[in-house]
Amino acid sequence: MNPWLVAVLGFLAALGLMLVNGVVMIYMLRKVLGRLHIRLGPMDNGPWGMFQTVFDVLKLLSKEDPTPRAADKALFFLAPVIVFVPSVMAYIVMPFSRTWVIADLSYGLLFIFAAMSIIPLGILAAGWSSNNKWSMIGAMRIVGSQVTYEVPMLLAALSVVMMAGSLSLSDIVAAQSGTFLWVFPRWFAWNVPALILFFISGLIEASQTPFDLAEAESELVAGFSTEYAGMKFGLLFLAEFSNVFIFSALLVTMFFGGWQLPWVSPDLPWVQTIAPLVFVFKTYLGIFFIFTIRGTLPRVRVDQMLATGWKVLLPASLGWVMITGLVIKIGQALAGVR
Amino acid sequence: MKIYGSGILKSMRIAYRNMLRKPITVQYPHEKVELPERARWAVAMKCDENGDHKCTACMACERACPDHIITLDFTTAEDRSKHIDRWRYEIGACMMCGLCVEACPFDAIEMSHNYELAVTDPGLLAVELLTDVPAVSAKRKTTTGTSSKPEGDEPSESKEPGTADGGADD
Repeated sequence: MNPWLVAVLGFLAALGLMLVNGVVMIYMLRKVLGRLHIRLGPMDNGPWGMFQTVFDVLKLLSKEDPTPRAADKALFFLAPVIVFVPSVMAYIVMPFSRTWVIADLSYGLLFIFAAMSIIPLGILAAGWSSNNKWSMIGAMRIVGSQVTYEVPMLLAALSVVMMAGSLSLSDIVAAQSGTFLWVFPRWFAWNVPALILFFISGLIEASQTPFDLAEAESELVAGFSTEYAGMKFGLLFLAEFSNVFIFSALLVTMFFGGWQLPWVSPDLPWVQTIAPLVFVFKTYLGIFFIFTIRGTLPRVRVDQMLATGWKVLLPASLGWVMITGLVIKIGQALAGVR
Repeated sequence: MKIYGSGILKSMRIAYRNMLRKPITVQYPHEKVELPERARWAVAMKCDENGDHKCTACMACERACPDHIITLDFTTAEDRSKHIDRWRYEIGACMMCGLCVEACPFDAIEMSHNYELAVTDPGLLAVELLTDVPAVSAKRKTTTGTSSKPEGDEPSESKEPGTADGGADD
């Protein structure tokens, strides 16, 4: 087939997946938060309120989309796009199974981090161009926190990369097949400090509660998206939910064996058939956990968050990278001696 | 000594425990809670066994109302029988305190259980519970209970003062 056609189809698949994910995740968020509060969540539209988000999307699409008079018009228009596009890009390298991957890049992990690091730029553009103090404060906060926590996140991922010996997400998944000591799946989740470091900094990168300082409703109206309405707001909102999905998918890929089932050989044909389902299921389990955290923990202060980032997480992740490297080298040396 | 992070674990445990509990939501338009017997909502007229009102136009409720939202206009005939022109009640300003019901010596009004009071037309927030009806005579109340035949004279009674006193009052 024409490689351009394949590329376009792949991009459209990523876009479709992202949109569907957004709708499903917003519904799921409401239901999960509702159950946490001993409520029911949306119940009226469709069975168990399933079509609630669909109607919400229709509402967003049909809304008037005003631009504030004092706004920087060009940036105000561009910012949602700058936030949205990297989010779609990150889907391109996600391995849903051995064959279900749009582009199996040998540096896939680096590609995702590179793409996601553009997002703060778009958010800063959104906050700046809105010409609104709340937007600006929210944007400054999110940029500060994301720049801070990108470093420990990368370093935590680095220790996984060292264990897998590759930056390709497919290779990282493949390195997690099989079991050790006959019972435990050889998942990198046993690298607990890296998992914790990655999880905390990932929560901040996806700006989820307890670190959602960027849009802290009780302090900043809605943060950088205060002045946005209609589908521009929809794009920002969708990108945020998509980032949660990407973060959870990365977590599954790097620490929980990706599309593989535990204790089952990944080479069996039926495992290959249900691999995308397993991957999505695991990802949604992670999202469920993130949403329950969102419904439980209170928001931290911005100074607490930045201090933790620079003073605790950064040294801890550097130290852990060193320890992982030492352990791997010692293991190799011992294997060589034997 | 507290372990660092134990609060987070405790809160998560409580959150997951909450998830297992049955939701307490009442899906209001589809299902409704049963109100307690003495719940106080919109004031309504009580009816006796014949379906007639029991208001004697004694003005106790109007005087008792702290919000001044009950307006009782009546005219008195020559034979001192009263005719209620209107018993007006503004639901929109009512705070459901129940003082009018407590003040009523004839048990003629009650705090009903009608709590669905939202209307689309603000004009509907003021209702007339009684319009142009003869008041029950406070004295004759016991006799009407036994004979239950005041229908014969009441229309004539009400018609006469209604025309005569209407002019006299104004």
